[in-house]
Amino acid sequence: MDGKIIVVTSGKGGVGKTTATASIGAALALEGKKVAVVDMDIGLRNLDVVMGLENRIVFNIVDAVKGRCKLKQAAIKDRRLDKLFLIPASQSDNKNVLDPEEMVRFSSMLRRHFDYVFMDCPAGIERGFENSVAAADEALVICTPEVAAVRDADRVIGLLYARSITPKLVVNRIVPALVERGDMLSHVDMVDVLSVELIGLVEMDDQVVVSTNTGVPLVMQKTSKAGAAFRRIAMRLNGQVDLPIQVPEASGGLFKRFRSKFGLKK
Amino acid sequence: MITDFFKKILGKKNESKNVAKQRLKFALIYDHLEVSEDILEALHKDMVEVISRYFEIDQEAFKLDIRRSDELSALVVNTPILSAKRKRKQAQPDPT
Repeated sequence: MDGKIIVVTSGKGGVGKTTATASIGAALALEGKKVAVVDMDIGLRNLDVVMGLENRIVFNIVDAVKGRCKLKQAAIKDRRLDKLFLIPASQSDNKNVLDPEEMVRFSSMLRRHFDYVFMDCPAGIERGFENSVAAADEALVICTPEVAAVRDADRVIGLLYARSITPKLVVNRIVPALVERGDMLSHVDMVDVLSVELIGLVEMDDQVVVSTNTGVPLVMQKTSKAGAAFRRIAMRLNGQVDLPIQVPEASGGLFKRFRSKFGLKK
Repeated sequence: MITDFFKKILGKKNESKNVAKQRLKFALIYDHLEVSEDILEALHKDMVEVISRYFEIDQEAFKLDIRRSDELSALVVNTPILSAKRKRKQAQPDPT
């Protein structure tokens, strides 16, 4: 097996890296690929709880990298998607316990066992980021349509290019009604400002909270628009590069369409 | 005040996202200039060299700055000139 290592990063915290990692990983597992998702937020683990696997942690990434346990002891198999594995973060160390060289060595081993490895990068650009990008082949940059997130994403994109890693942008938490009103940056604006390739657009979706509440994978909820978007991103990563990007649209309803026909819409 | 400026140049199209976009563009230009310190250092060195061909300058007091106002980013160079050089110092030997 010669797996691909993809870092999921953003710069800014709270924009949806963990949700994206869990969802895209699950989507690829649904396509039949053997996937490992790795929580690199050492000291502040959350990928496990988002995936509903928090009760099954015995060993973690630090144990595995330091050789205190075998890889398969640290990799928790998700029973609902048997090709999806989680390597959780340690909760009692800090990010300096690992260094990039160790991550490169460890990643060679990961590549032998998995088709895809997703590194859920912590917020920031310090050691946690360095460890997460150390062996990355590709990068997904998660960004919400807000000034602070875009500014931080720009910094991270610069750092990734400096390491010859081509980043691809996921715009998360799009609210189409706000975009239409001109009160939210559109994905076109964001691509223009960041000058980066777009790989997916994810609409703001209540189902995300429900998914993390229950620990049930978002991509297995048929009615979730965000889940569908993450599945499409997974397909694009997996070779369907020309799969068209779907732009979220405000539903509005009948009354809104009636008003716009008569020029009553603002 | 800065948002008033942007609203002025954008005219009626003063949707908040356009203000955001313009602010971001300026902020990122400045961030990029600030971040590439080695480029600024190399530029500093080159400029000292070029100006020294024409003027005797106090190389220690040579200052290079990126200044940013509401509307633009500017490269500001400040250097005390000690004297003008009589003959232009040749950068390369003449090919003839």
